[in-house]
Amino acid sequence: MTASVLSRLGTRRAILAGCLIFVALSVSGCSSNAHIRPQVFWDSIFHPSPALVNGIGLTLLISVVAQALGVILGVFAAIAKMAKFFPFRLVANLYVWLFRGTPLLVQLMFFYYGFPTAGIFKWPAVEIGPVFILPEVLAGIVILGINEGAYMAEIVRAGILSVDPGQTEASKSLGMNYGQTMRRIVLPQAARVIIPPLGNEFNNMLKTTSLLTVISVFELYNTTSVAAGRNYATFELFAGAAVWYLAMTTVWGFVQARIERRFARGTGPSQGGGAGPRREGFAARFMSLRAPIEQ
Amino acid sequence: MTIAHDLLGAIGGVPRPETDVVVEARDVNKWFGRLHVLKDVNLQVKRQETVVIIGPSGSGKTTFIRCVNHLEKIQSGRIFVNGHLIGYRETEAGGGFPIIGGLPVVNRLPIVGRRSNGSSGAMKLVEDKEKNIAAQRQEIGMVFQRFNLFPHMTALENIIEAPIQVRGMARDEAETVGRALLERVGLAAKEKVYPNQLSGGQQQRIAIARALAMKPALMLFDEPTSALDPEMIGEVLEVMKELAREGMTMIVVSHEMGFAREVANRVVMMDDGVVVEEGTPDMVFSTPTHERTKTFLSKIL
Repeated sequence: MTASVLSRLGTRRAILAGCLIFVALSVSGCSSNAHIRPQVFWDSIFHPSPALVNGIGLTLLISVVAQALGVILGVFAAIAKMAKFFPFRLVANLYVWLFRGTPLLVQLMFFYYGFPTAGIFKWPAVEIGPVFILPEVLAGIVILGINEGAYMAEIVRAGILSVDPGQTEASKSLGMNYGQTMRRIVLPQAARVIIPPLGNEFNNMLKTTSLLTVISVFELYNTTSVAAGRNYATFELFAGAAVWYLAMTTVWGFVQARIERRFARGTGPSQGGGAGPRREGFAARFMSLRAPIEQ
Repeated sequence: MTIAHDLLGAIGGVPRPETDVVVEARDVNKWFGRLHVLKDVNLQVKRQETVVIIGPSGSGKTTFIRCVNHLEKIQSGRIFVNGHLIGYRETEAGGGFPIIGGLPVVNRLPIVGRRSNGSSGAMKLVEDKEKNIAAQRQEIGMVFQRFNLFPHMTALENIIEAPIQVRGMARDEAETVGRALLERVGLAAKEKVYPNQLSGGQQQRIAIARALAMKPALMLFDEPTSALDPEMIGEVLEVMKELAREGMTMIVVSHEMGFAREVANRVVMMDDGVVVEEGTPDMVFSTPTHERTKTFLSKIL
């Protein structure tokens, strides 16, 4: 019987149908479980409390700003790592070594609580136009960004090294200086190599913001945690939080696919043949429902 | 150049004005590690002259023209383009730093600097500032064996990039110049096309246009047709011939003996880092004097 179902539906569809049945059973199991209040779960998604909305917004804001900071730091660190001038290399290597070699949690505690305790530095609140940024949020953004920069440095360096040295030579031979060569010729080409791992990093960043709970930032995780402590709907609320995280990373998946296509300019199949980059979008890659093309 | 001037020059009467010599290489030495790739190379290229450098692979010809725009460092000697020392500043020996560390010989041949006012002390070469090197390179166009077009830019964008970024030219003006250059290399229709959609020959013609957009005083061609399919070599050589006829000063490293015979004012034969022989194409191809030239030509002609 299994064989006949498989042959009629096709393997992929059969598996998909199996998944749907599993989900349906899970949902019905949950709704018949007396310990679970499905309404709390649905509300956390369709009618989130203002605190939760705020938490989601904060998670997004911190992720985007920290990632941007990380990319900027990463570019400079990567260039410094490849500099002829020895002190630049030393500083960049030291930075990457320190921030990749210690846990983020330790960095957060050290800089947010350690520094003020030792009387070195106290994180201020910042007001940028209508936006008021609390000290812990500022600290979270900066520390996450610096930490991310250390990882981005290696990614950017790999991207720069992937660009044909002939490109730099051509650029130099036209009289362009180092800065122009990097900005106009090398980095745009390196971007194609940098963006897929960068997407990975941002996906991680969205989730890593949950660690900021230790410095009392009320982002998505912390808000959920506090609410759960109040009404004991731990199962429902964290299921809701998971859905929110999943929604953010999924949307990012689509955005990333778009950006990758944008940077693939001029790298389509060449006249001489040869494989260009994959141009499928996120959905196609994720679902892969269509059978692979026969070779 | 006037006939009278030519005649006077021929009898060695009038010293040519300095600006008439575009490239002057004096006793250039280069090592890659312990490998001595250029050995006391001397070469002069006059304005509007086309010099073709031939020789077996590994003879140092490509390395030499890469030294002319300082894509490679030299360890001793001097290269001047339009009277400017390329890539280096001269300082009194003892001052400054040795230009390369670790090599046994730095400036083994003491050369009296041309601006050493009376003092006969040996001069040391110190690598120039990046800014100055970049400025010198603006005057020197280079065409590479593998084209090295910028793949993320269209044909026109490739051409206008340096005039806009380096010369500060307005975009409209640069585009006008760029389109004229595309026309000149016969690729006006390919303006919006990315390099990977062009054939090798077309890419190389765009690369020539890109170099010309900076209005260089000198063009260097590093085996411009070696990476091309045979049927595309002609179209690139045609552009180069045209350029030579228009009076561009060119140094061409090439294995295209037909091109050398037809276009070159002078052919330079290099072998093992040494200029073995130089003269008019007729002299070098028909009556080579050096044994090494004879064997090389017999293999490729």
